[in-house]
Amino acid sequence: MEAIAGTGARSIHKAPEEELTALESLQFTDEIHLLMAAPPDSSSSFTALLELSAPQAVELLHLPESANLISNDSYKPTQMDDFKGSLHFPTDIALIERAARLSVFAGESNNKHSNSEKNSAETASDNSSADPEKAVKSEPAETEYSQPSGSDPTVHKKSVKRKEREKKAKGSAKKSKTAANESSDDAEQLPYVHVRARRGQATDSHSLAERARREKINARMKLLQELVPGCSKISGTALVLEEIINHVQSLQRQVEFLSMRLAAVNPRIDFNFDSIFTPEYMQATSLVDSNFPSMVMPVMWPEAQVGGNRQQCQQQWHLDILHQPGWEREEVCHNYITPENSLLSYDSSTNSATLHSSQSKMEL
Amino acid sequence: MRSPSSLKQEFLKKWMMGLHIYGSLKKKMSLLERKKAIKLSADIAMASARNGTTCWSRALVANASKDEQDKILVQHILGTESERLMKKVSVLPLMSNKRIRSKKVLRRSYGSIRRAKKSNIAASPPNKVLAISIAKRLVRKRTLLLKSLVPGGEFMDEIALIEETLDYILSLRAQVDVMRSLANASELNNKN
Repeated sequence: MEAIAGTGARSIHKAPEEELTALESLQFTDEIHLLMAAPPDSSSSFTALLELSAPQAVELLHLPESANLISNDSYKPTQMDDFKGSLHFPTDIALIERAARLSVFAGESNNKHSNSEKNSAETASDNSSADPEKAVKSEPAETEYSQPSGSDPTVHKKSVKRKEREKKAKGSAKKSKTAANESSDDAEQLPYVHVRARRGQATDSHSLAERARREKINARMKLLQELVPGCSKISGTALVLEEIINHVQSLQRQVEFLSMRLAAVNPRIDFNFDSIFTPEYMQATSLVDSNFPSMVMPVMWPEAQVGGNRQQCQQQWHLDILHQPGWEREEVCHNYITPENSLLSYDSSTNSATLHSSQSKMEL
Repeated sequence: MRSPSSLKQEFLKKWMMGLHIYGSLKKKMSLLERKKAIKLSADIAMASARNGTTCWSRALVANASKDEQDKILVQHILGTESERLMKKVSVLPLMSNKRIRSKKVLRRSYGSIRRAKKSNIAASPPNKVLAISIAKRLVRKRTLLLKSLVPGGEFMDEIALIEETLDYILSLRAQVDVMRSLANASELNNKN
């Protein structure tokens, strides 16, 4: 590893483009393998979302590309266009990021050239914000890069040094960095906040994966917000989660109460649908709203056909229960076809299709 | 996507099946027993409507199968699918061990990160940091709570948890609607 590190240092200072690419690939495949072997931090979680603070998170969800692009204006703009990546190639992306870092250190002219070289092959959207920031931060780290002693210690040292460097870097008067610090609350600086917060773990492939994860989580949280009534107005992961939890709890409690009610209604747990289908009942508005009778009809009749396939005990109760009320139900059904047709208008097409088929069977 | 009305139909069918089986097994039941029977049949019916595609349904079936008495009912309701589902269900405890181990490793790393962060965030205003850390704590707590609510939630990661919650809420809603209309109908019937 020392030889490789030495060549890496050489590459930093010399920075011929071809050497860069070749040496970097040599240099970083080992580290990359180490990184890939590290366990994914699956529990970094919603708290990651929170670093955004809600409106920023929503904005990030809506405008990931533009946010990333805007945030990096202070850095090399040319890199942005090149960095449009697929996260399916983490090794390549890691290479790109290292390249960016090294190239930043090496100089402006080399940047564009090496970047364009590497980024013509892949494009990294999510990298864009991460790379320049990491590039700036790891500049000091790269100076000590020539001294590591082993592959594992290199990685650890690197991360440790990055932390130290960031301490010093915060005190440094680099405009872009202070701008990034101060503007961490802006919506556009979101990616910085993420990467900076994760700097302890922040290896490139990981941060990418994390960002992808966060966007996934954001998208799904949006779906949940739409599903749960009253959640779409709320901003903030914690509050939305609270609403969701309340909703789930209330639904579960309702199930409990309803099962208690049903248990109290009947001395034995059997529900005769024919007795339930009285004309007065059909006119009850609550039922018109729910598709209950239309649901029940197709439910009960297919059972009679399916009964032959089932086990013995089920066949028995099919015979006992279905046939007796079943015949009655047929008579009842013919009377109720007209009121049911009015109900059918509320049904979805699938429902009505099954109903029609079952009704035709009935008439036969 | 699965339509809500077909979900309700399937749920109702399987629920009635379960109830009839229960009724044939036990002739006289007390109120609480009936309530338990109703709820159990409803839960199993709901879970089987998903046919083992979702994690929560499998976890629900697994929990129900722990009790020997209920296991018979479960097998009856599920019918031929029960064997396939039981196999899926047995995978869950294995997965949980791996996740718990990796979570412990991650928590240790988080502790060190937090320490580093605290020492580094001298520059930024302390109020924001405080707010962020408080919010993080809240979110973490609520995530844990949600995991405890959704059956089988402890074994899932964040993304899967949200998807499972979505599906679970949909199924719960269908269940509640069907049960409520049945209860209303029966009570109306009894009044007449």
